[in-house]
Amino acid sequence: MSFCAVFFMLLLMGAPSQAGDLDAFPDLNLNDPGAVQEAARVLQEEIKLAARPQTYLLIDLVTSTIHIKGRGVELHRVPIVAWSAKALHNLKGTHRLIVRPPVVRRKIDPTTSVEQEPISLADMPVGYTLSFTPSLIIDVAPVAGENPLQWLKARGNAWWRSLKDETRSLSTGQSTTQGPHLQLEVSAEQAQSLAWSAVDGMALVVRRRADK
Amino acid sequence: MASVPTALSSLILIGLLVADVPPNSQALFPSSEPFTPSAPTKAGGHHLQSLQAQYKSLSEQLSRLKPHQPYILVDTARNHLYVKRRQEVVLDAIASTGSGTILDKPGEGNDQWVFDTPRGEFLVQSKLTHPAWVKPDWAFIEEGQEIPTNQADRVEQGVLGEYALGFGKGYFIHGTLYTRFLGKNVTHGCIRLNDGDLKRVYTFARIGTPIIIF
Repeated sequence: MSFCAVFFMLLLMGAPSQAGDLDAFPDLNLNDPGAVQEAARVLQEEIKLAARPQTYLLIDLVTSTIHIKGRGVELHRVPIVAWSAKALHNLKGTHRLIVRPPVVRRKIDPTTSVEQEPISLADMPVGYTLSFTPSLIIDVAPVAGENPLQWLKARGNAWWRSLKDETRSLSTGQSTTQGPHLQLEVSAEQAQSLAWSAVDGMALVVRRRADK
Repeated sequence: MASVPTALSSLILIGLLVADVPPNSQALFPSSEPFTPSAPTKAGGHHLQSLQAQYKSLSEQLSRLKPHQPYILVDTARNHLYVKRRQEVVLDAIASTGSGTILDKPGEGNDQWVFDTPRGEFLVQSKLTHPAWVKPDWAFIEEGQEIPTNQADRVEQGVLGEYALGFGKGYFIHGTLYTRFLGKNVTHGCIRLNDGDLKRVYTFARIGTPIIIF
């Protein structure tokens, strides 16, 4: 067997796993400058996060997926059913979660022999707001069909926030500088899973869709 | 170098991961807004090539940060412990992780113990065989007992299984007598496994093996 043939075979054997590892966004259209520019921006942020011993979030609005990651490896993924966004052009760099979604913790009472129920995924909220610094607000709601009340509440909150912004803008005669705002619809189970995995100070990067 | 089966499985796995994303997922609300990237300043083709080169270089940098040695992954929400080698799952074990309950510390003030399994990345710091449990203060307070003054009264044998892997601040991956609770959040922060899985993890792990917990 010639040297070239051996070399080609070795290349073929190694190539698939290498290629998979070396293409951070397999969906990326490399002929779309805006998309490539955005992917590069996200990667620059992600490299900084992956260099540290921490878990972080990547919200990919191109593939409609929330990735929980560590060291650049995907640990868990949450499919986004639907999303909407405002002022995403104001997104810059990495955002940090100010406080994780609330959960009611049971207190152990040493004076009784009754064991406290541990918290579980089922105890996590299905609808909640995540606030980040620098300014970014993410409303997470279950899909309408799964929990109509929670969905209505989330939509109502978003509408109320928008109305307040508009009113302020009208009364002052100046356009308000709106911070970035994302509304995500995920399944109730995935909303609870995301609430569970979010920890105070957790880093987040958002990959936006490029304008076509 | 990847073997043919490994390479093929990587391809299939990547395919599955991509296929897992709902193809019709998209912005459903009229307010959804894409962003407009800053306008290219150089001639189109040249600029695109430069962007592509930057993207590839950054992808390589990110890839280099991924663990190239096997690592332990713990999903506290679903109570699973995995041993992974790159994308390959070497072991998938049902575990028990932190209960999330709280216990008041004695004395004045609002100090509490919170029984969560810590999140983030840790390293295997110690490997023990036939570990003894040195019961901390909370183990006595929780049961309404006095905290012993004699250290020897804290030691309990045979409750942690045959092996234990320490990953810092008193947290261990260890065995359990209460295998019926595996798959539930019942611990004080440690990660419990059954005897068979614990032996496999112990055999596989080295001092310095990464443990990623989320």
